[in-house]
Amino acid sequence: MMSRNSMYTNPKPCKHLADYKLRHGLSGYNLLQEQIRTTPSGKSSVKNHQTEIPRCCFCNGYQKRLYLCLICSSISCSSHTLLHSQCENGHDIAVDIERSELYCVLCCDQVYDPDFDKIVMLKHLMDLPRSGNGVDVSAGRRSSKRRRLCSALELDLKKTKQLVSMRDLRAKSCYPLGLRGLNNLGSTCFMNSVLQALLHAPPFRNYFLTGQRNHEVCRKRSSDRLCLLCDIYVFFSAVFSGDRTPYSPAQLLYSWWQHSANLASYEQQDAHEFFISMLDGIHENGVKARSPIKDTGECHCVAHRVFSGQLRSDVTCMSCGYTSTTYDPFMDISLNLDTGNCPSTDLANKSLKPSDNTYVSTLLGCLDLFTKPEKLGSDQKFFCENCQERQDSVKQMSIKRLPLVLCLHIKRFEHFPVRRMSRKIDRYMQFPFCLDMNPYLSSSVVRNRFGNRMFAFEGDELDTSTEFEIFAVVTHSGTLDSGHYVTYLHLKDQWYKCDDAWITAVEEEVVRASQCYMLFYAQKMLYYKANEDLVCQPVSPRADPFLPIAGCC
Amino acid sequence: MRNSVNRPPTPDAVEDQEKEPTLQEIINIKMIESGEKEKLMELLRERLVECGWKDEMKALCRAYIKKKGTNNVTVDDLVHVITPKGRASIPDSIKTELLLRIRAFLASAAL
Repeated sequence: MMSRNSMYTNPKPCKHLADYKLRHGLSGYNLLQEQIRTTPSGKSSVKNHQTEIPRCCFCNGYQKRLYLCLICSSISCSSHTLLHSQCENGHDIAVDIERSELYCVLCCDQVYDPDFDKIVMLKHLMDLPRSGNGVDVSAGRRSSKRRRLCSALELDLKKTKQLVSMRDLRAKSCYPLGLRGLNNLGSTCFMNSVLQALLHAPPFRNYFLTGQRNHEVCRKRSSDRLCLLCDIYVFFSAVFSGDRTPYSPAQLLYSWWQHSANLASYEQQDAHEFFISMLDGIHENGVKARSPIKDTGECHCVAHRVFSGQLRSDVTCMSCGYTSTTYDPFMDISLNLDTGNCPSTDLANKSLKPSDNTYVSTLLGCLDLFTKPEKLGSDQKFFCENCQERQDSVKQMSIKRLPLVLCLHIKRFEHFPVRRMSRKIDRYMQFPFCLDMNPYLSSSVVRNRFGNRMFAFEGDELDTSTEFEIFAVVTHSGTLDSGHYVTYLHLKDQWYKCDDAWITAVEEEVVRASQCYMLFYAQKMLYYKANEDLVCQPVSPRADPFLPIAGCC
Repeated sequence: MRNSVNRPPTPDAVEDQEKEPTLQEIINIKMIESGEKEKLMELLRERLVECGWKDEMKALCRAYIKKKGTNNVTVDDLVHVITPKGRASIPDSIKTELLLRIRAFLASAAL
């Protein structure tokens, strides 16, 4: 049922544990299994059938940590475990009764054995009601993962080199390709800022630049109708042409207005709303344009291939432990700011956390908040299938599948329904340039529920990397109603500030200090490959002709 | 499997067993037997997580491990280092809440 995960390194057993395993194998663990009980919250303890309180056999104490010897089952408290080991030769390995964790008496330290953890886990799962255990025990979905990887490689930018032949003589050869100012057409900085980010999302960019979007045969254009995808293609070509004079994306704006009529005006709009609406437009246009594909449940339009991931939501009944799991797709993740506030107002030891005013919000803090188990209010009682009644429950989110490009949206507004007003939160949030999403994956989050155990899930993301590199930051300054968006792009180790038509190189400190609103991260491998090809090089006449990529349309 | 929990204690501990159990011990035992202690422990854990105490302890542990080096620290070390700080930093509101619960239990258990 559970396989070993090569990425998750098991600590080497100490000499004493290794000896014990050699002599006794799994017999001690197996005998213990029957006595393990797990609470709905996930804590596993060793409880034998006797009603008596476990006591240390030396001092009769019951207040300290108690350890059960794996060989003779005698219980010693933390002060007397050594004594027991001295009395009985070879009785070195014990189990912490309260926590079901292995302890080596001679090393005076906790030790780990995946075999032991597996047995604890199995007992826990066996005891849980029916199949609602929050563990994905389905057969490995390797084939779908491999397809995703191939899909990412299909959007390979090797073909991007073709574009270099369109180099304009006016191009500043020191700046990377694709850096071009965008004119503000009337409060359209929300659009310009997001477009700059999209221009440099590696697989998204490659899709449009390598002509996978074959606009020649676009049915809409031939009948003189608007096609959002074609307009994007034209936009990309213009920006990557090498011409450095600011470009006016008027056609694209018009196209987008047609799609999102409710947002069509010269008023200021929200960049995140524009982003979602744009992706939605691409999806709709793409789906109509292509012939129906075999329904695998995954959409193959470029927007989904690049940005879509999958979220997992677990709701656990607090009475019996039954967990209901649902999966939902996402194109981006909206995060609440972590403010470090906690319900209890007086922390006795003030020196540890001086005051809330000096707590710095971080992206990792926001992600922690996002994946934190959240108690659902008493008005949101969940109907537990096992208990057959409404119970208090705990909800926890995690990421089942990461996209190629991860867009993180910071919710910088708070609403006051009573006063019927909303306010922008200007609080600074620190964000990293390299992001490892591993702790927020479903495999990590669900694993943590079972305590400090060493094992791997069947559904672990063994193939895809969890390391991301930032390539664009959309920042906002001003208030909810009136403000200005600026995008910072990270290209070839240099940061560029894109303020509508003005592009300037800036130091990374400027970016770190900025007030981020949307963060764009690309999978590390894609990011580095994309950056290699941004160099302006003359195309060799012996270069390969453009090869169509099979199976992408 | 030999069950040695009821094994007679070694001679050293005989004196301890002959002592009368204190009131505190009686209460503790009653609470464990009735399952109330387990409930209170769960409540305590929940409260300590909510108020960020657990995270603070984790941070202290990390700092200690960083200082000593990952291979030079045992669980026992950590427990010894963290315990006094942990006990001192528990918010009063949590202490109050638990004491009230224990008092209610005593009233209901009619000791």
